[in-house]
Amino acid sequence: MTMQLNSAPLLDFIVGKINVGVFVINRDMDIVLWNHFMETYSGLKADDAVGTNVFDQFPELPRRWLERKINSVFVLKNFAFTSWEQRPYLFKFPHNRPVTGGVDCMRQNCTFLPVRNEAGDVEHVCVTLLDVTDTSIYQSMMKDALRRLADASNRDGLTGIYNRRFLETSLDKEFSRVRRYGGTLSFILLDIDFFKKVNDNLGHLAGDEVLRRAAEIFSHTIRDSDTLGRYGGEEFAVILPQTELDGAVILAERLRQNIEEAEILYDKNPIPVTISLGVTQLSDDVAAYEQLINDADIALYQSKENGRNKVTAFKPSV
Amino acid sequence: MSITPLTEDQRDALQEVLNIAMGQAGDSLARILDAFVELSVPRIRIVEVKEVTNTIREMVGNTADVTAVRQAFFDDLRGEAIVVMDENGCRDLADLMGYDDNLDCQAEQELLLDVSNVLVGAILNGVTETLGTSLSYSAPSIMAERCPVDHIIDPRNLSWTHALLLEVNYSLKNRGFKSHLLLLMAEEAIESLRKAVDDFVESI
Amino acid sequence: MTTPITIVDDSAMSRKLMTRALPAGWDVEISQATNGKEALEAYHAGKADVMFLDLTMPVMDGYEVLETLKKEGLNTFVVVVSADIQPKAQERVMSLGAMAFIKKPVNTEEVTKILKEYGII
Repeated sequence: MTMQLNSAPLLDFIVGKINVGVFVINRDMDIVLWNHFMETYSGLKADDAVGTNVFDQFPELPRRWLERKINSVFVLKNFAFTSWEQRPYLFKFPHNRPVTGGVDCMRQNCTFLPVRNEAGDVEHVCVTLLDVTDTSIYQSMMKDALRRLADASNRDGLTGIYNRRFLETSLDKEFSRVRRYGGTLSFILLDIDFFKKVNDNLGHLAGDEVLRRAAEIFSHTIRDSDTLGRYGGEEFAVILPQTELDGAVILAERLRQNIEEAEILYDKNPIPVTISLGVTQLSDDVAAYEQLINDADIALYQSKENGRNKVTAFKPSV
Repeated sequence: MSITPLTEDQRDALQEVLNIAMGQAGDSLARILDAFVELSVPRIRIVEVKEVTNTIREMVGNTADVTAVRQAFFDDLRGEAIVVMDENGCRDLADLMGYDDNLDCQAEQELLLDVSNVLVGAILNGVTETLGTSLSYSAPSIMAERCPVDHIIDPRNLSWTHALLLEVNYSLKNRGFKSHLLLLMAEEAIESLRKAVDDFVESI
Repeated sequence: MTTPITIVDDSAMSRKLMTRALPAGWDVEISQATNGKEALEAYHAGKADVMFLDLTMPVMDGYEVLETLKKEGLNTFVVVVSADIQPKAQERVMSLGAMAFIKKPVNTEEVTKILKEYGII
């Protein structure tokens, strides 16, 4: 059986009930059409809305901006758009995830369509309003995940502090910043003494525990502006922006003491741990950040040579 | 896939249709922005995918970093419009478009999208009115922000080999604002446009 | 009496559109020119009592044609036909001696109105 449908009432029905906000305004900004979606979320009935000025009904609308927008549709006979990413909403409506959403109100994408009459003139603008709250929530979840992923790729798996790649990138940035804007920069390279023995005598799990605890102690010792990372095996490094050599040596000494005095336990047995450190400050003749690492490494080697558990400041050879 | 180049008549007709559209666009823009809009003579060419980056650099010039907005159009004609603006030009329009002086990042993006939408719509509406075709638009989105011109399009990510490239330049008299509008239509879309142009020439 | 007119436009389609927009029954002999130089030649050959003149053209544009006509004190009825319809453009051509301005795309109604206004038809 086929049924003859008169399409006009059907279209009325669809526009009325579709789960998209649809409303139409004229040149005077009076509401001409207001569908069920708009009624439901605004609480304003179509009967009360039609024939009234949209700005009288919704004084909180950004008037100057919205008038310009709608006016551009009349003058240019052109579509116009708003996206939740730039303007979260046009109307402050509640959304359908009041419990799980985590956003204050419905996110909306709006399209402004020029409605042409037979002569081709635009007398009305039709606005469609899409609820994109879910999309916005997913997108912010995705952004969050990407941020976490990016952070994870900068961190050392065992200790949770920054890895070598991140350290070098940061050092490069700091180096360039000082070269461009002035100021200074110091760098500490340190190494756990006799780490190989811990691994050999007590096993790798003990070694891992030493690395983890040491990283923890280092990160409690450094200042907020310093950047700590694991440079390799049992080597760690600290970038100290805007710090002179004297200050860096004081911090290095504190790191050395804190490790020496800390009680690092494995299987309830204390493991004595000490570190050797090399400290350097950026001077005029340092051409690239890699040289800072080199200089610190030379100083670190001297600390080892001089009996370990020591801090040595790099002195450029004359 | 190779494509048939436009015939002399098709090119002439398309050029004229664009000229007319430009005129109307300029007039509408002047009215909405209340400023005199200077328009270039539109340029038409067919580009191969491997030379698109060079072509765009040539058109836009080797300026400082640029921002680009894309917007799709579809229906009788199908393609994408790219609006390229440099940093200084963007801010100039803020006031004209009814934005407040202190733009935060979101407001600035919104302004860019608004301006691009107006520029794209102004010219394409002119084209469709003359050709008697019908057109719809997607919402504009930012494809590149403050990046070198070369980074706008990555040819490796494109699925077409030839595209028709229409270029139009807008600038505002006595203001810094300048923008380049590129309309790109890939192979099949060129044929639709060719047919629309032929039909139009036929009708006169 | 047959009026010699010249349609000046670099676009063939545009000249065709212009020709089609001329009022029916107007007794004319139509010459075509694709740039300003050809337009002046047509004028000197007595082929342009009325000239429909585009502005943007290669070799010599519409503005230059108007300037030359004005400078040399030449007398023809020039109707500028242009896509650039901003008031500034219109003011400029009128000050250079054009009699009327028609926006593209041209339509017969508008052309007829102008020709009638000046008693040409």
